[in-house]
Amino acid sequence: MKFTVNIIILFFLIIQPLYAAKVKVDPSEFGVEGGNACVDCHFKTSAGLAEQWKKSKHGQLGMNCLDCHQANTEDNDAIEHEGFTIAAIVSPKDCGRCHVTEYQQNSSSVHANAVSLISKRLPAMAQNLGGKAIVAAGCDQCHGSVVKVKGDGTLDTATWPNSGIGRVNPDGSKGSCSSCHGRHEFSKAQARDPSSCMRCHSGPDSPDRAIFEASKHGMAFAANRNNMNLDSDSWVAGKDYTSGPTCVTCHMGAAGKLPPNHDVGLRNSWNLNTVVSERQQLVIFEDGDKMDLPESQEAPDPGTETTKIDGTLGTVKMVIPPERRRKAMSVVCLECHGKSFVSSFMEQFDSVVELYNEKFGKPAQAIMEDLYEKELLTPTPFDEPIEFSYWELWHDEGTRARHGAAMASPNHTWWEGMYQVARNFYSKFLPQVREVAGKDAEALIQKHVKNDKENHGWLDQPNKLSPILGYGNSKPGGE
Amino acid sequence: MRWPAFLNIKTIGLLLTGGIAGAAFILVLIEFDHATSTEAFCTSCHSMEIVAEPYRQSVHYNPTSGVRASCGDCHVSRGVISATWDHILGTKDLFKQLFGADYDNPVVNLVHAPDAAFKAREWFRKTDSDTCLRCHVLEGIKGTRADTQKVHQEESEGKSCIDCHINLVHRKVPGKKVFKRDAWNRMVEEEFGLQEGMAEKIRQGLVKAPQP
Repeated sequence: MKFTVNIIILFFLIIQPLYAAKVKVDPSEFGVEGGNACVDCHFKTSAGLAEQWKKSKHGQLGMNCLDCHQANTEDNDAIEHEGFTIAAIVSPKDCGRCHVTEYQQNSSSVHANAVSLISKRLPAMAQNLGGKAIVAAGCDQCHGSVVKVKGDGTLDTATWPNSGIGRVNPDGSKGSCSSCHGRHEFSKAQARDPSSCMRCHSGPDSPDRAIFEASKHGMAFAANRNNMNLDSDSWVAGKDYTSGPTCVTCHMGAAGKLPPNHDVGLRNSWNLNTVVSERQQLVIFEDGDKMDLPESQEAPDPGTETTKIDGTLGTVKMVIPPERRRKAMSVVCLECHGKSFVSSFMEQFDSVVELYNEKFGKPAQAIMEDLYEKELLTPTPFDEPIEFSYWELWHDEGTRARHGAAMASPNHTWWEGMYQVARNFYSKFLPQVREVAGKDAEALIQKHVKNDKENHGWLDQPNKLSPILGYGNSKPGGE
Repeated sequence: MRWPAFLNIKTIGLLLTGGIAGAAFILVLIEFDHATSTEAFCTSCHSMEIVAEPYRQSVHYNPTSGVRASCGDCHVSRGVISATWDHILGTKDLFKQLFGADYDNPVVNLVHAPDAAFKAREWFRKTDSDTCLRCHVLEGIKGTRADTQKVHQEESEGKSCIDCHINLVHRKVPGKKVFKRDAWNRMVEEEFGLQEGMAEKIRQGLVKAPQP
């Protein structure tokens, strides 16, 4: 049964169109009447964006401002502007009138759900550590705001301007195409350039900019940028470019028989941004929505109902196992690498994730649970130093180590990653456990840490020489 | 040469009296229009004080040039006859102030603000934004932004100021075509901490608005 399902899924992945789907609207419908009046004025009042539009494919095909910005009077963000009824926000639903496939793929992706995905993290972060101003100018600028239209027709400045990837738009659609496809030029080359992703995928919790740049892939891209054919209509790895991959290549791009896909998380077999990483299944709902489901949770049967990311119920169409997602990713690698090279690399990567899980993620999580259970910590988030240590251990340092291994930056896997995790764990987190738990501490550490002889047995070998720290230099065997 | 027979002393006296009385009447009208166009006069009703608050924050109140537009400069027509007519029509506002809803209450005032805005915009459209021209001369508009002058010369054909320039002075109200009463009511309720549905009841005069 499982085998059959896999075959069906593989088929499903392959039959999709090879390139970005052609738009479904006939070009004779481009260029809404009256739209040229906008252009006359906007070349004067906002020449920059008007010029960008003119250079764009949209402009060249005869589409004008109204093709995207026209609104119905009943739309809740419609405004009257110089005699026209328009909306400032062009939502994915608007873009989806023509770009049907991309809209559908993106709408169910982790990108489009970026608001729901952090709903549990946000209150502690935003309310305790930051504030409303940070939510508007920080969190929401990447994750997306829930755009609020005020009764007077203006957009609430706490929620707009915003180009966050999971923005919840006034029309109910999720996402923001302009997050990657900057308005008003909508340059393909720009969206395919890693710098487009790096606006958000940089910094402690998603350090992919630094990791990519330090990796062989990043080096290849930087050295051969001019050969990347970034603005080509067709952009298939191994065919239209061969110098190196960008973020898009592996996570969304076409490669060999693998079609491109605007669901950025489709090929990710692990979740690398949790306390403990799990391989993840992909639940696909009847209505096209999707959801990651940790491998430890039982896959729902097709036809049954289950809760989606946003809390509503959906009927399950199929569940794709993590191995299948890994296989899709590996198809990209195979354009440049040999089969065993790819599988061996994946093994190295998986081993780092498993090491992180077993050695640090799981014990730290178990200790924290016990500390809260025994009421040695207050439930209030971030009012105790150990809470920061724990948070940074998995969310910053642990993520860096795991992403470093995933994207082949040795420096980020170790020095910027797992070394930082280890330093935090042994020199900050455990001492803080001793401080918080007092007499209970040793039992806790014994149970969750020291009993794991394979990973933490070294703690019980106090006499081993360590010349790099200045001990044993004068003894035989020392440096 | 003889004076015409009808120009006796009595007629001349009457003509002179009538002339002086007429001139005096016109002078009084001019003075009256002036006096009743000032901010001080208009805001002698508390409801207008609420309307004037955003005005005092606007560029029309505090322009760099120092040319301050008072209420009547924008809302009362040019020319003494039209101005008098506007003031006669304006008495219905006085009537409403005295016998209508409690516009002095900020909640009631805000609930009804869109209706006032739509009427005012309609008036500006009907008069082809004539009062704007008291101060603004199309050919003289240069602006500080790039190409503002060009837009006003090349894109203004057949347009009236009000077609593009709304929400400059008073509280922002959406265009009439896209106005959503429900959304407006929700905003009022949120602003004054009222229960959902209260604004509509206040608008219909079913409940008394709380004093914020």
